Parts: sequence; C-alpha cells; structure tokens
Amino acid sequence: MNLSFLPADMNWRCQSCGATLQPGMVELHYLGNVFRVELPVCPSCSAVLISEELATGRMLEIEQLLEDK
Amino acid sequence: MDQQELRAWEARCIQEEPPGCRAGCPLGVDGRAFARTVAEGEMAAARAILEKSMPLTGIVARLCEAPCEQYCLRQALGGAVALGELERACVAAAPSQGKILRLPPRPKKVVVVGGGPSSLSLAFDLGKKGYPVTLFHSGEHPGGWLNRLPEQVLPAAVLEEELARLQDLGVSFLPMSQLSPQLYQEAEGCYLGQDDALPGAITSLLRQPDHLTFALPQTGWFSGGTSDEDDRFRFISDISQGREAAISLDRFLQGASLTASRVALRHGRTELFTRTDQVTPRQRILPADPRGYSRGEALQEASRCLDCQCLECVRHCQYLQAFGAYPKVYARRIYNNSAIVRGNHQANTLINSCSLCRQCETLCPNDFSMADLCLEARQTMVREERMPPSAHWFALEEMRSARSEGALRRHAPGTTNSRALFFPGCQLAGTRPEQTLALYERLRELEPETGIWLDCCAAPAHWAGSTTEFAAILEQLETGWSEMGRPRLITACSSCLQIFRQHLPTVPVESAWVVLAAHPQAATGTPRPALALSDPCTSRDDPQTQAAVRTILARLDQALAPLAMSGEQTECCGFGGLMESANPKLARQVAAARVAQTEAEILTYCAMCRDQLARAGRPVSYLLDLLLPEQALPAATAPVTISARRSQRRQLKAELLARYAPQEGPAPAPWEALKLNISEPVAVMMEERRILEDDLRQLLYLADQKRLKESIDPTDPAKTRGSCFIHPESGARIASARLGQVTFWVEYQQEAGVYRIERCWSHRMVIQGGRP
Repeated sequence: MNLSFLPADMNWRCQSCGATLQPGMVELHYLGNVFRVELPVCPSCSAVLISEELATGRMLEIEQLLEDK
Repeated sequence: MDQQELRAWEARCIQEEPPGCRAGCPLGVDGRAFARTVAEGEMAAARAILEKSMPLTGIVARLCEAPCEQYCLRQALGGAVALGELERACVAAAPSQGKILRLPPRPKKVVVVGGGPSSLSLAFDLGKKGYPVTLFHSGEHPGGWLNRLPEQVLPAAVLEEELARLQDLGVSFLPMSQLSPQLYQEAEGCYLGQDDALPGAITSLLRQPDHLTFALPQTGWFSGGTSDEDDRFRFISDISQGREAAISLDRFLQGASLTASRVALRHGRTELFTRTDQVTPRQRILPADPRGYSRGEALQEASRCLDCQCLECVRHCQYLQAFGAYPKVYARRIYNNSAIVRGNHQANTLINSCSLCRQCETLCPNDFSMADLCLEARQTMVREERMPPSAHWFALEEMRSARSEGALRRHAPGTTNSRALFFPGCQLAGTRPEQTLALYERLRELEPETGIWLDCCAAPAHWAGSTTEFAAILEQLETGWSEMGRPRLITACSSCLQIFRQHLPTVPVESAWVVLAAHPQAATGTPRPALALSDPCTSRDDPQTQAAVRTILARLDQALAPLAMSGEQTECCGFGGLMESANPKLARQVAAARVAQTEAEILTYCAMCRDQLARAGRPVSYLLDLLLPEQALPAATAPVTISARRSQRRQLKAELLARYAPQEGPAPAPWEALKLNISEPVAVMMEERRILEDDLRQLLYLADQKRLKESIDPTDPAKTRGSCFIHPESGARIASARLGQVTFWVEYQQEAGVYRIERCWSHRMVIQGGRP
C-alpha cells in the first residue's frame, strides 16, 4: 500500500496551528504490518487527515485482509 | 481439533451417506444423480453417470433387475422410482460416448474361463486396469445365456458392440475348445465364471468360493457367477460377483491383501436420513408401450425421485445455507482454517457467524452441533491470537460498558437484605428502561426484599471465545452475588439464565416469567389479536420458561398464531453467538427469514430478539408490552439505536440510584452535555458503522481549540489525543481521536452551541509518523 491518498480538496487547515495541510509521508500500522502512504499532514504539528473514502474503502479492505491472514 | 477429532465430527454428519438406491446397487450406481439428470432431459449426461459405475453399460442397463428399487423412499409414496425402466430408456435414447480409457498395460496375464455375464464384467474391470485378459467362452460367441435373449430385450448389435469394446480394452476371446490345462495352470490369475457352460475338467476343480473375495482354495484362482437361475436378481448379482472377483484378482496380482480396507456391499444400508412426511404421493408412471418409456414418460417418472438428502439442519438455518455446504464440509473447512500456517484463514467468517443457537443440534438425527464446533474454534483462535480484532469488538465494548457505566447492584431501597435479586439483563435495561423499572416494581410487590443488579452476564465474552475474560467476569459475578447474601436471582433474559445455569451452577436463578406465572395477580394485562410467539434461542432447552410464558399468555386470554419453528426447535433472531457483530448482513437475513414465517404480529420475551426482528420491518411486541399496558410500546416502535442503548442504561442506573440518595449518582462526563444535531441518514450511517453518539461527543469535546492546544505534546505526537481541521471556505470541521482500538472521525458544522453532524467514519489502523 505504498501509495498516495491525497483527497481532491486539500484546502483544510489544522485548527490548532492554523497551517494548511500539505502532502506528507505517514506510516499506518496494523497487526504488525506497516504501510507508508502519502496523506494530508499539518506541516507544524504532524496531524494527519484520513478521508471517509479512504477509511471506508481501501483501508477497511486491507484491515480485513490482514485480520484473516 | 486434531485429525481424529475432525473425523469424529465428520462422521456425525450423514449428508454424504449414499441414498438408498445407491446403497442398494451392487455396482454403486448413483441412482439419485441419474434420476435427476434424466428428469432434466439430459440423456447423454445420464448415460455418462451410469457408465461411471457400470461395466458394459449397453448390456447391464438393459438387463439390470434394479434391486435399488427395494430401497427407494418413494416406495410408500406412489411406488419406487422405476430406475430399471429409466436405465433402459436412457441407453436406448443415448448411444455410448465412445472409447473407454485403459490404464497402461501390465505384464501379469489373466485367464478367464467362461463367457457369461460375470466373466464379461470381470474382464471389463481388469481390462480397464491394463491387464491382458484371455477369455474362453462356450458356444460360438462370448456372452453365455445372453446370446439366447430375444432381440427386444438385448439387441444382438448391442452385445456385439460391448464385446468389441472389451476387445479394445485388451480382452481376447477364444472358444473353450482351445483351453488347455497348461493355460490356466500357468496363468498368474484365473477366474472361473460359473454362469457359462464350463468343461468337466474345470467343474471338477471348483470348490465353494469365499463369499466376500470370491477366492478359491487354489492360490490365484477366483470364481463367481453362482446365482441361481430363479434368483430375482440373477443377472445383476453375477455382474456384481464378477466385479468383486476383479477387485480380488487385482489385489492378488499386486501382492496386496484381499480384504484390508475393502468396502463391503451395503445391500441398501445407509445412515442417510431423508424427511418424507411433507412429500405428496405420486403414482409410478407405467409405460404406454410395453417396450418401455417414451422420452416424456421417462422425464416424468424421473421427476418422482425425492433427491434424497438429509440437510435437516441446513433447510432451516440461514447461516448454514449462506456458506453453500453442510456441517461435514464445514467441519473440514474449520479444521483446515486452524491447520494452515501461512495464507488466508478463509473460514474465519464461517466460524464467527454461527449464532450458537443449537437448532441444528436439535434437528440433526445425530446431534451434530455447529455451536460446539464454532465455539471451540473461536476459543482456539483467541488463545492463538488469531481472532480478527474487529469480529467481536463492538459487542465486547458493549458488554464492558454495561458492566461499568451501566452497572449497579443494591438491596431494595430501605432494606439491608435481599431475598431475591432482579437481574434484568443488559439488553432489556438498554432497550426498555421504563419497562425494566416497572417489572422491578412488580417483582417487589411479590417480594419486597428484591434487590436490583444491573450488569451483563458475560455471554458476549463466552460467545466470542474469550475464555479468560469470561472466567474473570464469572468470578466477579459470583463474588457480587455472595456480597448480596447469596439470594436467588430473577432474570428477564434467557441468555443470562442460560449462562448462570451452565456456568455458575451454585447461583440459584429463575426466569422472571416463571415468577410471574406463579402469581396470577402479577401477570395481568391486555390481549391483542393473535400473536406468533417466537421463543428466544437461548430458551431452547428451558421448557419451564417456555411453558411459563404460555401460561401467562393463556391467563391474559392472548390467542397465539402458529409459528413453525418454536419451542425446542426455535430459531435465532440473528443476534445470538454475536452473529450480528461478526456478520451483520447475515444477521439481517436471519431476522428477515424468521419474520417471513408468519403473517401475524410477532411476540417475543427476549429484549434483543424484539429489536432484531423489528429491524426486519415487521411489528414485533415484547412480552412486557402486554403485561404493562402503561409502559407498553407500539409493536411498530423502531429498534433502539446502539447509542441509545448506552445512554438509557446510564439513565436507568441514575434513576435507580436517585431512589437511594439523589447525590449518589456518578457525575456525568463533561462531554455528555454536548448537543448534537443528527439527521436520519447520519443516524443510519452511525448504526451501520457502529459509531456511538458518545464517541462523537468525546471527539468534539477534545476538538475544542483550547483543549486541543493543551493536549498537544510537541515531544511525543503519539501522546496527543485528538486533532481538528477546518475548511476555510465551507466552515466545515473534521475532528478525530483514537478511542480504544479505533480511530474515529466526524465532519460537522458548529451552529449556536449545537454540532450538526454531516458524516462520521472510523478505522482500526494506527497512524504513526504523523498523528490523528
């Protein structure tokens, strides 16, 4: 899952820092597996935004796959 | 489960036992598949089924006396299916498909003395196996008495064709005159077919062959074809003897034991159970033309086949149907699932979807229990840390919540002792708090020293296979009961009742319905039009509670509509065994199938059944709706949402606590006060995604700018609990936080102190190198 999951609308700001989110590499961990993916990240505090589409689509699929491994 | 246990499991399921016809065929022809294929009009395919088990099909199908028909279950329902006539119709309509495959030639030679049916049958089987066979026959042609049959019974051309096929299989025919003692004395294997005229020199050597192996005392010699001329099954018995002798000869020539692992003829014996009580009798079709069935007649006659199957359990269980097979196959899948070291565990969903309701066990002639099989598999998965974390997560969280924020254990207000203790069950408390209170009041009228115990009986931990957590909770429950002075427990939940009875046998427990039934003054209420009573699956082995409910209803003059599967055979609503947690889609199907069994309004006495069945869109009442007219809810009331179940448990606890001392209740969490605006589609989304209002309130509380800033730990982003993003154009916000095993997200608009929820989602993956 070494992929980019940037939403079409990147116009989100981190409420705490006020900074606009930028593409950044993030590690997602599940059941001992690690995936490096590109997601919108706050350049100041590293907060990550995971979209509904990603969470209920590809992420869920991979979670279920790993649970049955 | 080890291999031996697997075999024991497999042996219990009889679905793969042969139907009577196959068990009664000395050649093992699959009469059931044959009849089904003829009924479909596929004559060529039907012939192929015959050829699979039958030697010399052109001859055997025409002459077979069909002993199978004696074992046909249609017998008493219009007459046995005319498999013999159907065989003839089939071979007459469909020519042979052509060449029969022969294994590579083998060096050891076989001599067959006699050309009758048994000899031809043996020559066919050994020829196919690659043995060169020399057959000495009486008369001009091989076949013995077959040559004397009338043309309409066995056309000469058919006999000729089958003999030619034998030659293709490496069988050579020679007249008996060419047989010399040297030939059969020097042969590596020899068969004497007594269903043909044999020379005197041979008959003098004949002794009685062994009835199982057809071996003669002379090493390497075998003999068959011994049926009497007036034997009803003379022909097919001789064919069968030839086949059995061929098996022996093959084993002999390979130096193997003649008897080890040899499968004996079944003579119709089978363990297969087939229900026939619902079958309408249909008379056997008699052919208009005495020469045999027309195509139409054959199809009609074949359609009388009952297609004998057991499937007693599968027929009634949506779960067993959903995975496309039957318990024997499932046992192997479950075994394989735990045996594999790498690769996908493909049976996880199968294991986790069973409602553990034990209907299969009740219906199965051999008591096969999918519940035991699946529960043991779940326990193994948990022990070996292979249980998918998401499978039972929500139900276990629900249990833990009911055992903490929803839990309460007190003597009745103003008393210091409990002679009885009301344990309503966490689902009743969560779905019907007012009725729980009213029932408690009624029980206190009967016994003023009735304490209250809001808790969960740990059924979810048991069903999830989590033996450690289950044992720990049982211990806590036993301690709690002891602390209350060891009173008798009264529960309104069949699952609680079952758990206490089976796992805490020292605790005396009875059903609230049994208590009410024993006190006519306590069981009053208003009857409705006839109701279909759906017993909860956990009451299956509790006839006392089932009878008590019926007593109460009879006292109310409540008429009951019939519901096929009830009492001991009742069905699960889809919640049991945590099916709803592991496989929500199947749980919906189960509920839909259950409510479809009746036109009447449904009545249950399990709070969870009530909401599960109501989810299928039909009016469903709960027993207390009848008994407590003041607190009755309409049968069409929507099921309580997962969020409301939690908050109602808290409210019930607070209300009960207020009866002791107003200040006693726990202070509500600060996030509980946040006001949410949730539209209907969002409510559905939350229910499907198992996201609680509590979860959203916690997220939103954390997302408050000030709290968020305070929570940020610049040295360790992982310690930061939540995050919040804002869209500068739309003003929409997205808040997120990790709560337990799950990261939750909510998109919302903040309007005058109210959070309007747009959508919410969650994932289990953990974000690192950034933070939520």
